[in-house]
Amino acid sequence: MPGVETAADAAAMPFDPYELKDMVGGTIRDPYPLFHELRQQSPVHTGPIDLGEGPDIGEGHPDPSKPPPVTVFGFDEVVQVLRDNETFSSVVYEDVMGIVMGRTILQMDEPEHKKVRDLVASSFRSKMLARWEEELVAVVVNDLVDSFIEQGRTDLVRSVTFNFPVQVIARILGLPRDDYPRFQRWALELTSVAANWERGVAASAALRDYFADVMEERRAKPGDDLISDLVRAEVDGEHLTDEDIYSFLRLLLPAGVETTYRASGSLLFALLNDRPQLDALYADRSLFPQAFEEVIRWEPPVTVILRRVARDTELAGVAIDEGADVALMIGSANRDERKYTEPDRYDMFRSQRQHVGFGFGVHVCLGMHLARMESRIAINTLFDRLGPFTLDPEADPPHIEGMAFRSPLSLPVVFAAR
Amino acid sequence: MAEMSEGDPVEIKIDWDLCMGSGNCMFWAPDTFDLSEDGHAVVTDPTASTDEKIRIAAQGCPVGAISLWRNGTQLSLEQGG
Repeated sequence: MPGVETAADAAAMPFDPYELKDMVGGTIRDPYPLFHELRQQSPVHTGPIDLGEGPDIGEGHPDPSKPPPVTVFGFDEVVQVLRDNETFSSVVYEDVMGIVMGRTILQMDEPEHKKVRDLVASSFRSKMLARWEEELVAVVVNDLVDSFIEQGRTDLVRSVTFNFPVQVIARILGLPRDDYPRFQRWALELTSVAANWERGVAASAALRDYFADVMEERRAKPGDDLISDLVRAEVDGEHLTDEDIYSFLRLLLPAGVETTYRASGSLLFALLNDRPQLDALYADRSLFPQAFEEVIRWEPPVTVILRRVARDTELAGVAIDEGADVALMIGSANRDERKYTEPDRYDMFRSQRQHVGFGFGVHVCLGMHLARMESRIAINTLFDRLGPFTLDPEADPPHIEGMAFRSPLSLPVVFAAR
Repeated sequence: MAEMSEGDPVEIKIDWDLCMGSGNCMFWAPDTFDLSEDGHAVVTDPTASTDEKIRIAAQGCPVGAISLWRNGTQLSLEQGG
């Protein structure tokens, strides 16, 4: 087992992972009126924009020789940028993400991006994911439900949504159970790197060393887990390098844990605040795909995608200079009134199902099928185990907050204990 | 482009130069789309899903590789709401 001495220390340490959660997302409750106002002015803005908090666009711009930043609020314009991956480059992610994660598909352009993505993609296809549904995801969620079901009430964020994605990833990677506590700690330290840079960078290095040992084991003795898949992956005679694999595994933490925790929480929030829609899904689980897609539209866990302009261009009549950074406001595009009727309403029955909550184009979220499957199993398990649950009338009503990342901080519910 | 409406069956075209194997079409219309061994989207049964499901599947393609045709006319993928 890799690093036995520190695993014992970490396992012995009393540790509530929830306490390690930093407020990296900001505290804005409703950014949508501001998005609406800016979108009405123009779908594309040039120059710094004060969004109150979070990723202020172009705030304190360090390089005066750089062209002014551009912010995109309209749906069609966001899609246009994401489709044109030659003009709008992903190299922008090198500056921040690249330092912490290593070189990942997030920051690559074509043709390199396709080559590396193809090597990891097969493990994330829905057919490959089916093997993990019952044996793995359902087991994790059932274990979590066991811990509170006798009490008849719980905070679903703290007891379920915050915990299950990291445990699912740990199992998908085939990590030993004793390693879960420190894996979860590193995962949180890495994903909250914006709140504590040194701690995040240290966690990144620790994960690299840890994964190096695990990879050595899997090369010698492959199993039915993602690390074994990645070690074996081959397309047209090409393999992933060790550095590719470390970087990809580290990227899985913010990409696969943080987002799924937030998306499943926001879905529960939407349902708990709309009884008829909760009841409809409870009665007919085949509605899950549209219920989930609608929450990714209505409250995307990640509200901003960045690009950098590779050559002088134009968008919605606005000239953009080469080198300009472009912020795509996903949360705004998904509520564009030119695209959706009643855009601010969560409505799983709307006919316009297209959204950019998973991004769009060649970089579209690789883990979307995993997120869909994990959330479906989580909600189904909660429904099956708890029966119809409701918001706790004695607790403060929950709310969604954040700017760069959004989700509810708590979801106090009551149910008939069984 | 024509609106989608009832009538002759919809013809589905997939541009394999564009297709990136995201699997979104299969997510929205699993009875009609599948992914091949090498990760390309393929049509398994064009009549097994409703026109609405096929429209949503085509619209959801992140690289716009799926187009729908009826009697030689390309259909619009848009529908308000």
